[in-house]
Amino acid sequence: MTSRAVVVAVVDDDESVRESLPDLLRELGYAAQAYASAEEFLAAADLGAIHALILDIAMPGMSGPELQQELRRRRLTIPVVFITANGDAALKRRLLAEGAAACLIKPFSETALQLALDAALRHG
Amino acid sequence: MSESRPPVAEDRAVDEVGRLQRCLRDLLSILALPAMWSGREATHLGHTLLDVLVALLPLDVAAVRLVDGEGGEPLEMVRIGAAQRGAIPSEQITMMLGGEPMELPAAAPLEGMELFLAPFPLGLHGEVGHLVVGARRPGFPDADERLLLNVAANQAAIGLREARLLHEQRRVASELDARVARRTAELAAANEELRRSEAFLAEGQQLTTTGSFAWRVATGEITWSDQLYRMFEFDRSKPVTLTDIGSRVHPDDLPLLYHMLTRAEAEASGFEYEHRLLMPDQSVKHLHLVAHARRTRDGALEYIGAVQDVTERRRSEEALGRLQSELAHMARITSLGALTASIAHEVNQPLSGIVTNASTSLRMLAADPPNVEGALETARRTIRDAKRASDVITRLRALFNRKAVTSEPVDLNEAAREVVALSAAEMQRGRVTLRAEYDETLPAILGDRVQLQQVMLNLLRNAVDAVSGIEDRTRLVVLRTGRDEAGNVRLSVEDSGPGLDPDSVPRLFEAFYSTKTGGMGIGLSVSRTIIEGHGGRLWAAPNEGHGATFAFAIPLHPARAVSKYRGDGGSLPTVNTAATQEPRP
Repeated sequence: MTSRAVVVAVVDDDESVRESLPDLLRELGYAAQAYASAEEFLAAADLGAIHALILDIAMPGMSGPELQQELRRRRLTIPVVFITANGDAALKRRLLAEGAAACLIKPFSETALQLALDAALRHG
Repeated sequence: MSESRPPVAEDRAVDEVGRLQRCLRDLLSILALPAMWSGREATHLGHTLLDVLVALLPLDVAAVRLVDGEGGEPLEMVRIGAAQRGAIPSEQITMMLGGEPMELPAAAPLEGMELFLAPFPLGLHGEVGHLVVGARRPGFPDADERLLLNVAANQAAIGLREARLLHEQRRVASELDARVARRTAELAAANEELRRSEAFLAEGQQLTTTGSFAWRVATGEITWSDQLYRMFEFDRSKPVTLTDIGSRVHPDDLPLLYHMLTRAEAEASGFEYEHRLLMPDQSVKHLHLVAHARRTRDGALEYIGAVQDVTERRRSEEALGRLQSELAHMARITSLGALTASIAHEVNQPLSGIVTNASTSLRMLAADPPNVEGALETARRTIRDAKRASDVITRLRALFNRKAVTSEPVDLNEAAREVVALSAAEMQRGRVTLRAEYDETLPAILGDRVQLQQVMLNLLRNAVDAVSGIEDRTRLVVLRTGRDEAGNVRLSVEDSGPGLDPDSVPRLFEAFYSTKTGGMGIGLSVSRTIIEGHGGRLWAAPNEGHGATFAFAIPLHPARAVSKYRGDGGSLPTVNTAATQEPRP
């Protein structure tokens, strides 16, 4: 399980997501970390050791896309899978066009998550 | 023959003849009197009588007292004979005449000499007056004089009676004239009043576009007011028939007309109905007709009624109805649109947890060995998230499952908390900080909870939109509940946005006015309607610092008479229930 040693970070202000998603990721064989905000992620995470980022779009403070910008500014190329509770097709297209590996609309299935992470890791 | 007569007797005979001739002449003069006074007043008659008597007879004094028959003061006139003129003061004569003339002594001492007096009643018992004559010669009056005076008195009595009659006739005639004049004036005034009433009526009919009619059923005779002719666009000069009316009535309404006519002819009861006219230019008029039955004096059935042109009212009602349903529809759509994001977020968030936890749980159970403890934990989380989703759906159902407008006790704090909970996601997404300050002592108000929540949601959304452009300071929205000086319950939403353009404030509450490119401008207008429906008021005011405050106040016991007002002239609307309070929280 840990042989793949792929580290996935989850940044979401919703507690239930931070609670449930890392568990599933671990079941899927990833190493998972959870952060409640973009600011917390930037401050606490070992940015260099993260292979993929699952990022909520709408958050208090810095938003998901803003965090993505910030990482680019720091020349960190961590592939991003956006998740959102009320995205639409237009938003999804825009985020993909701006370099997101995938964009999942909540609720998403295990399979969709797996495919998105696969794409993200290929991306990276 | 005369030769044979003795000279003395002859002289006496000559004297006698002369006397008789004189007497006859005097009699003729006296008998001519009525011709002189005919048709004249009693006074004139009295004077003429005295003048003639003094001229004819050797009288020293002549006087009459005339009674007017109506209990008035008697008229007294006196003549002094030519020989005594200046010697006898007429006042003394008048004094002598006072009392009862018929009981005068035959002779009375006057200025040292005796005056012989003779009274004559005018009328059988002096009911018209008295004539008194006097002379200073013993034996006055002699037989001839008495005869002449009697005839004169008799003539005078007749004349005076005639004069009195004439006077009475004249009086009656003039009274009659006065009465006729008075009645004529009254009639003229009444006519003027009637003419004015008719003018008022005609004016009123024109103003209210109401015409009136009378319809005699038996003869088919129809009388119309001018306004009714105008309404039907008929020639005023021609009498109207039922056939004429039928030619104007909208073909679809003809059965209605016939039904009404049949009923009216049979029942003699009032009727009221609405029908349309199809005018020659194909335009349609809506008429409202009310009539009541009455019996004329000869027992004939007659209908008196009024017809009002309600075309404008119908059109307005139709337009209003269309507008209202459009408004309601748009309000629903905008509310739905506004909520779609919140719903998505609020429901999808727990759903996401459910799916993720369920997947995890399955995986843990399928592992070898199964991670039962982990599976139980994630299953528990699944249930918790499902409950959370269910709560959200319950709240949404309450918001959308609209019954008719209800009036129930509403805890404004609780209602606001729910709205805040529903808006939380939107706030987060817009990185808006919402501070809610609830006055926990707030009493419940009577109202429609869901409607009030729609207003709050609208105000919060506007506030979020207002602060969305802020980059240099906190995007702060403050929701407050509390009471004002008048005891009204109030809720305000204060934002720190760019504030209000003073020019736009009056238009804020107009339907379809929007400062937002994406908005439909329906929210504030509908919100105000809702708050007014609760007897309260909704207003907007700029803040002293940044931004604007939108607030509403609702009375605890709403007066039913909610005054209508519009945001005009930039002034804050005032309404009976919350007139004295400051617009700022």
